[in-house]
Amino acid sequence: MLKIKGLVKKYGKFTAVDYLDLHVPKGEIYGFVGPNGAGKTTTMKIISGLMEADRGEVYVNDIDVLKNQRKAKEVIGYMPDFFGVYDDLKVTEYLDYYASIYKINAKERKKICDDLLELVDLQDKKDAYVDSLSRGMKQRLCLARSLVHNPELLVLDEPASGMDPRARVEMKEILRVLKDLGKTIIISSHILPELSELCTSIGIIERGKIVISGTVDEIMQQVYRKRFIKVKIKDKTEECAKVMQEHPLITNIIKGENSIEAGFEGSEEEMAMLLKELVMRDIPVISFGQMEGNLEDVFMKVTKGDEA
Amino acid sequence: MMRINPVLQKELKIRMRGWRAAGMIGVYLIFMTLTASFALIMSMDDYYRSTIDPEVALGSYIGLAVMQLVLISFISPALTTGAISGEREKQTLDLLLSTPMTPLSVITGKLFASISQVILLIIASLPIFSIVFLFGGISVIELLQLFGFFIIIAITFGSIGIFYSSYFKKTTAANVMAYGTIAFLCFGTIFLTILYLGITRNYGYKGFFPFLYANPIIGFTSILWDQVGGGNVNIFPGLIFGNTAAASHISTWIINLLFNIILSIVLLILSAKKINPLKERHRGRFYLSRKGKK
Ligand SMILES: Nc1ncnc2c1ncn2[C@@H]1O[C@H](COP(=O)(O)OP(=O)(O)O)[C@@H](O)[C@H]1O
Ligand SMILES: [Mg+2]
Repeated sequence: MLKIKGLVKKYGKFTAVDYLDLHVPKGEIYGFVGPNGAGKTTTMKIISGLMEADRGEVYVNDIDVLKNQRKAKEVIGYMPDFFGVYDDLKVTEYLDYYASIYKINAKERKKICDDLLELVDLQDKKDAYVDSLSRGMKQRLCLARSLVHNPELLVLDEPASGMDPRARVEMKEILRVLKDLGKTIIISSHILPELSELCTSIGIIERGKIVISGTVDEIMQQVYRKRFIKVKIKDKTEECAKVMQEHPLITNIIKGENSIEAGFEGSEEEMAMLLKELVMRDIPVISFGQMEGNLEDVFMKVTKGDEA
Repeated sequence: MMRINPVLQKELKIRMRGWRAAGMIGVYLIFMTLTASFALIMSMDDYYRSTIDPEVALGSYIGLAVMQLVLISFISPALTTGAISGEREKQTLDLLLSTPMTPLSVITGKLFASISQVILLIIASLPIFSIVFLFGGISVIELLQLFGFFIIIAITFGSIGIFYSSYFKKTTAANVMAYGTIAFLCFGTIFLTILYLGITRNYGYKGFFPFLYANPIIGFTSILWDQVGGGNVNIFPGLIFGNTAAASHISTWIINLLFNIILSIVLLILSAKKINPLKERHRGRFYLSRKGKK
């Protein structure tokens, strides 16, 4: 459905997208995750025909997006990360306007507007001026706008950013409905957990490159395989560190005065074995446990680690 | 079925809504009526006659025409300088450009929405102009000629506004540049002509200096001059009204009109190029170079 090959985009000397490859099969919800400045917006603008690529190819349904703009735009619905509304239009007029741009005739437009307003739960705001809507409502309206021409691919750039938790839940509900309607969706976020329950597959981008991609389960395994454990000891810190250093599943040890933190790539059973070994070597362990890693922290560590 | 440009349709809907459009027509008509009354009173005072004098009619015709030119010159760019930069400031331009609508349709839709408004003003002023028919001296054809000239001027100045609106991020900057350019066309061209002829010591220049064909005020004066049947007048070397003595004489205002039309087309195409996120030419070149390398 969406295929990106060797995409490069430079702003002057700075490379924002660096030979990016990406493939989203039909019907998937693809989470495009990466920290701020990773190149998500740039990539999505290129997909939507709003920016030129320096190199590479983008195909949507076998349409070459960079060559056949007009045809590609007919099948893509784009929702930018930052957008505005015309303050002097009413909600229905707003949708009707964009529908008319897609050459939909007036009768159909009315039905489409009604259906879309129902989908995004804005029926009772029909005659309100767009400007009077809350931020979350505007975001939903903009999502409806990107759907007026019944596109096959939806490109949503951080649609949940700046939303309160309730609005987020509503947005997710809408996206689920769209998924059931068979739309292919690429959705970006700088927060991994936000997307993990919604998406079918995920690609993590950093510095213009895809670092990991795959189904949600695969990614979660890769991301969370690494645990962080913390051992508190009465003394013998050095000895404890030595034992841990020699352990094959331990990575990057941070020594404190009476504690040691370390990465641990293994199962819970293997964690128990490590504790047993420490105790057997007469190390006075006071406490031993897994650190409550903030999911985002872990994610950031993973992406940073891969880059080095 | 012909489809109305959706941008034009929406802009018209918004612009005609509420009191703004009506208010604008009202203010415009007040200006025009005041001008007509002023011209009438002035010429009546001079003669203190109650008989109808065609010269009074001509005086008010010229007064009204000048007033209309001044108003159009101020209004047309003001209606377009926010066309694109406003969409950018509102962050709605990307939404528009992500649709299959071509940049040129966006530009022309915006321009014609503004021009429609100016045309509406011009039409609304017709009844005031029609007082000159009471006195005779000007034919309907001539009035239509003048109005046609005004519409072209409105399109030209509107295109100048749109052009700067697409090149500058801020509407304020677009405004400054648009009025600057119009001022240059109106006065700068005269200044440069005098300067050039002065430097080249060409004081005896005969005929019409080509540079001045770009000047809308001179075009406008020329059309009125033709209509009231003024003879040959040499204002300064290079600027002649009336018959420019060339063998194949074409009225100055017709050439000015052609210049305006061409200028508008060029500016509109450049504006469309500017807002087009994809610069076709560059990509073509890249494809060529890549194929060449392989
Ligand atoms: N118009 C621009 N000019 C120069 N640099 C830009 C421009 N737009 C984005 N960038 C840079 O490109 C990088 C990627 O930006 P962006 O695609 O917006 O990232 P993301 O959406 O993932 O936060 C950032 O470092 C940003 O500073
Ligand atoms: Mg972004």
